[in-house]
Amino acid sequence: MNIATEFWTWNAAILTIAIFSFLWRDNPLYRIAEHLYIGVANGYSITLTYFNVVVPMMIDPLVNAGKMVKQDGFSTAVLNPFNDANFFIILPMMVGALYITRFIPKISWMVRIPIGLTMGYYTAISIPASFEAGILRQLEASIVTRAQLAEFWPGFWTIVILLSTLATLIYFFFSTEQKGVLRPISNFGILMVMIGFGASFGLTVMARISLAIGRFIFLFKDWLGVVS
Amino acid sequence: MSNRVEIQTVWQKMMGVDRRVIYVIVALVMIIPIIFPFDLPIRVSERTTQALFDAVEKFPKEHNAMLISADLSPQDQPELYPMLVSLLRHSFHRRIKVLAMCLYANSLGLAEQAFNQVVSEFNNRATTDEERIIYGRDYVFLGWKPPPIVPILGLGENIFDVFPKDFYGNDLNLQPMMTNIKSYRDMDMIASIAANSLPITYVAYAQARYGIKVTAGVTAVSVADFYPYLDSGQLTGMIEGMKGAAEYEKLVQEKFSDQERRMACEGMSAQSTTHIAIILMVILGNVCYFMQRRHENRRGV
Repeated sequence: MNIATEFWTWNAAILTIAIFSFLWRDNPLYRIAEHLYIGVANGYSITLTYFNVVVPMMIDPLVNAGKMVKQDGFSTAVLNPFNDANFFIILPMMVGALYITRFIPKISWMVRIPIGLTMGYYTAISIPASFEAGILRQLEASIVTRAQLAEFWPGFWTIVILLSTLATLIYFFFSTEQKGVLRPISNFGILMVMIGFGASFGLTVMARISLAIGRFIFLFKDWLGVVS
Repeated sequence: MSNRVEIQTVWQKMMGVDRRVIYVIVALVMIIPIIFPFDLPIRVSERTTQALFDAVEKFPKEHNAMLISADLSPQDQPELYPMLVSLLRHSFHRRIKVLAMCLYANSLGLAEQAFNQVVSEFNNRATTDEERIIYGRDYVFLGWKPPPIVPILGLGENIFDVFPKDFYGNDLNLQPMMTNIKSYRDMDMIASIAANSLPITYVAYAQARYGIKVTAGVTAVSVADFYPYLDSGQLTGMIEGMKGAAEYEKLVQEKFSDQERRMACEGMSAQSTTHIAIILMVILGNVCYFMQRRHENRRGV
């Protein structure tokens, strides 16, 4: 047994046990660890955001532009958004600040401006990308080619993928009643969906076990040192 | 008759067992193999782990740089951290230049820790300057820039516009490694180590627009989402959860005789015993359910 002597290892071990104690029942030790985690995570994120985003992208350009004007007088260069020192940043800052109007009932409608701009940007940028990567390339991959059938197992799985894709699509086709020939195809589709859910459940179990194992290895190897 | 009623009551009792009993059983089947580990064969998956390993092995000299998007966080550390460490060991063994960044703030600490660990492993063994891993020459840590879409797209145009300085505040253009690396065009592959859908985001934005190869290291819970992208060839290999990380550790160890700690392999025996225990419990739970239902049907409840 080679127990750890570092303060932070002990700290992590005690907090791990405190979180695990919830499995028995809710208790003050668990509550302390939970609140500590939320507080530390928020504080860490806010500090990093301030020093990595607010300072270099908002404060520095304005301060540098102010210094430039003081030194050399006003020039159009301080309005160029591509310069390190510019006043142009005030414009997006003002648009961003409109989020705060949500808390002032009389002008709360102004919050729609930054929301609209953000939604417009992300929608425009994501539609072609998602269509290309998620639909066109996937459709292309579902096409069976002669080369894929050259070997037995790869060819077999290619056909399984094609048939299960078609059957699942038919199962989710609600514009007509699923009877006649559509019924067995639809049943095959739901079977494939169920197999997919089963696989996802198995993978979820595997993931959760991995996380618990990671913590137990930490406790028994890094903290208590009972494992060589 | 009374004997039969007693047996049926057992099914009922088993179905109503306190969940804490199950927690204790699971904890025991996990802890015992950790304290008394035993070796189980690790079979490497051809389509996923081996494919990624081969892609790194075949790295072309003219594009000798890989971007690692290290987006792991404390809650997925046991699965993703060993992947990142193994990938770094493999890249540094092959002298591939590594450029790393994080798309989330809480990934920075773990990503830096992984670099420090692997760099010190190499430097402790090194006898010449050539064998050492040197910051700026062999790897650069860009740090974090939100929101994710900005660096993903921006790195396709000009890295220096998105990251004028590295994580440590040094001017990026002064790093020797960066003289030949300006955008995705100067890299061969992006490795996205993430617990969410970020690898698909890289496929949609970086690969579709700039044609760069994308590979992924993901948690087991999200693996199923990525199989269609693997089948279509949009992902070049993949590391799947702790199991995949153990496979990658094995491949790196066998290829380079690397004797460093294999964190994912340490958990494999515990994972196998726990899986067996859970499979048995699922079967037992179903048997209890059907026996109880049969009992109720016979009694006409």
